[in-house]
Amino acid sequence: MEPLLRARDVGVGHPNNPRLDAVDLSIHDKDSVAILGANGAGKTTLIRLLAGVGAPDRGEILLNGQVLQRASAGVRRKIGYLPQRVPAYPELTVDENLRWAGRLHGLRDTALCEAMEQMCTALDLDGCRRRLAARLSAGMLQRLGLAQAMLHQPRLLILDEPTAGLDPLQLDQIRSLLRALADDCALVLATHLLDDVEQLCSRVVLLESGRIRLEHRVTPGSDLLALFRTGEDNPPLTDEASV
Amino acid sequence: MITAIAYQQWLHLRCGLLFWLLLGFGQLLIAWLAFAQFETFAEIAPQLKAAGSNLGATELVIVPTLNSLVLLLLVLVPLLAMGSLASESRSGRLEVWLTAPVHGYQVIVGKALGIWLASLPILAATLVTLVLLGLGIAIDWRLYVLAATGLIALALWLSCICLLFSTMLDHPAAALAASLGSLVFLWLLDSFGEPGATWHRAALLPHVRPWLEGLLRSQDIAYFVVTGSAALLLATYLFDRRRGIL
Repeated sequence: MEPLLRARDVGVGHPNNPRLDAVDLSIHDKDSVAILGANGAGKTTLIRLLAGVGAPDRGEILLNGQVLQRASAGVRRKIGYLPQRVPAYPELTVDENLRWAGRLHGLRDTALCEAMEQMCTALDLDGCRRRLAARLSAGMLQRLGLAQAMLHQPRLLILDEPTAGLDPLQLDQIRSLLRALADDCALVLATHLLDDVEQLCSRVVLLESGRIRLEHRVTPGSDLLALFRTGEDNPPLTDEASV
Repeated sequence: MITAIAYQQWLHLRCGLLFWLLLGFGQLLIAWLAFAQFETFAEIAPQLKAAGSNLGATELVIVPTLNSLVLLLLVLVPLLAMGSLASESRSGRLEVWLTAPVHGYQVIVGKALGIWLASLPILAATLVTLVLLGLGIAIDWRLYVLAATGLIALALWLSCICLLFSTMLDHPAAALAASLGSLVFLWLLDSFGEPGATWHRAALLPHVRPWLEGLLRSQDIAYFVVTGSAALLLATYLFDRRRGIL
């Protein structure tokens, strides 16, 4: 089966000192993949490329078989992207921010209103639709960001550290939401939190110095900390679970 | 899509403090300048009448105030435009613009129109203030409307030029400095060198002044259309290069 998104031999930066090097990654429908790595490993660089921010210096990224940067608007609409900083206008209300995101992804009139209603209900934003984004708590702002990314019902949701900076209660809320969302679309998230990987993803890609160290299927009881420390399969990770 | 992006840019600017500060400041400045001009006109009007001069309020009050309005626009539009793309990169919103399923030219033209739309209420308010202050004085309406149209066109041209610098640079303050620097350079260009030098054709003032004085020339329209379109094209190129398309 053709993958939904494919990074083929992707490299960024000077070949002698690359920020990403020879990255091969395939994302299929309903996949949930975590890109794990220490700070500076290249997670954000890779996630930005997968979302279509800029182009790799080497290799290519294909979305539905088309080079992502040149893909048609219809194909690009399959991606929903939430960067590390929630892309909201602080001086606009939740509704206005959602309307902007919807219009940017081609939603109009009734379709836009329905999508906004649906997303606000799903993400529990109904009570604050007229509130300025600047006045939202970190958790609410993250939910607004998710609503912006999901409004046009993408088939692939790309998230850059979606749980960074949240308190435990907000963390739990956002993870529950993401678990529910992952049932409907493929999910790719960059994180350095092992709990995110355990609770949200079925596959983990470990990045180290811009290269994929290993890919692994996440199963209950996986010792992700050992994986993170050594970058090697450990006894608790069964061989048949490896990808 | 262009109208949706223009509306978003206008909404973003309208909800910011800067827009309202500029609106208030513009009103205050134009009212003060117009009052000063009216005062001088009232003092010399009897002498002009006695001398049989044709000069009236339009030539001695309205045109000089509109000239000052050009200078106000040269400061105001760069202030409105400085963050249009430069601040987006600092807030994370640029990534959404870059990944959005829209063409680069749609983003650039939409944003330029949004900046222009935001400058219109400020411009309209000052133009109305000017008329209200001059109530009871005979104004040459043809010249006034032509000059107002010229200022509206100038605001659009400035939006295109300033957006280019906002696309080029990652910091709003740097975009503002570059915009102001370039506009002051274009403003002063015709005062350098011999009169009639070739590069004087690129200066801004010789293309604005005739319009404000009621003379609409094709070379002035061509100047604004060519330079404005070139700025938009270059901004689109830079934006698409960031997206990795070029």
